[in-house]
Amino acid sequence: MNAGSSRLVWDGRRLATKLGAPGRRFRADPRCFAGERVRAFAHVCALPDESARLPFDQPEVQQVRRDALAWWIPLLGDSLVCLTTLVVDPVNYGGAITVATDPAVFHSDPFARIFPGTVVETDLFCPVPAPPGPIEERKAGVAWPGGRFM
Amino acid sequence: MTTGALVPGVAFPDLDLPDHTGRRRSLSEIAGGDPVALFTSRGWWCPKEQRYLRQLVALQDEFEVAYAKLVVVSTDPPEVQSAFRAGLGARFTFLSDAERVWLDRLGLRETTDTVHHPYRPAGFTLFPDLKIHAAYNGYWSFGRATNEEIRQDMRAISMRIRADWALAA
Repeated sequence: MNAGSSRLVWDGRRLATKLGAPGRRFRADPRCFAGERVRAFAHVCALPDESARLPFDQPEVQQVRRDALAWWIPLLGDSLVCLTTLVVDPVNYGGAITVATDPAVFHSDPFARIFPGTVVETDLFCPVPAPPGPIEERKAGVAWPGGRFM
Repeated sequence: MTTGALVPGVAFPDLDLPDHTGRRRSLSEIAGGDPVALFTSRGWWCPKEQRYLRQLVALQDEFEVAYAKLVVVSTDPPEVQSAFRAGLGARFTFLSDAERVWLDRLGLRETTDTVHHPYRPAGFTLFPDLKIHAAYNGYWSFGRATNEEIRQDMRAISMRIRADWALAA
């Protein structure tokens, strides 16, 4: 996969970025793959079932992003590597992934309210500055919190 | 060394400070291509600040859907800011200048508090490149930007930077 690509595949047990990897395809925040990758744990709150999706504009999807900005990111502290929602198409949310060096607080992940979480050890992701908030709108269909106008 | 007058048209310094979680941030990275409303604050203990920041929290629901950022700078350490932020219900970024690295460079030392040396309350609405659109001296409470003034400033900046702002003819 090229650095900065947003493709991510999830089969329920493994994450992959290779073209043709088996599983459900999503788009993630491309910044999560654009730097030097680190060994970490990913909390994948998504299902391989194609029907597991919700419009991003649903109140529960908006609220979980507010929770991420309000307390989830502070709770993760220094262990946070990056965080991304998973885009199915320009309208639909398919889940979210929080990547951290320590999985100890993954049981509190607010994104697991929408789709249940699975912990996976991974070296696919790189550190990305935490989203500053309060923005929870997406830019041009890029997976939140990625994207910018300028 | 000071940065010079913080007046409209001048670039606001690209502050580099830890945020409320202790992570190092820069103001330009936080802006991320969007307008910014930045406020310096005396700190959690000041009843005037508590009232004003509650006012900003009331504004954050608009900011979260409008592609703009809110930032507060104080001399509180990150763990204090984090608790204060949680108590307020804020979802925006606090930057900690507990080491007072920028306090005098910005010329914003609160001169009447000679014990705690906090920031003087001030507000700045910024373009994405950190150029100052408007500056507010909040030393006197009525000098502080109202939510409507902040809203109008964000509109004025957005009109300038969003190429598709105008309705098609």
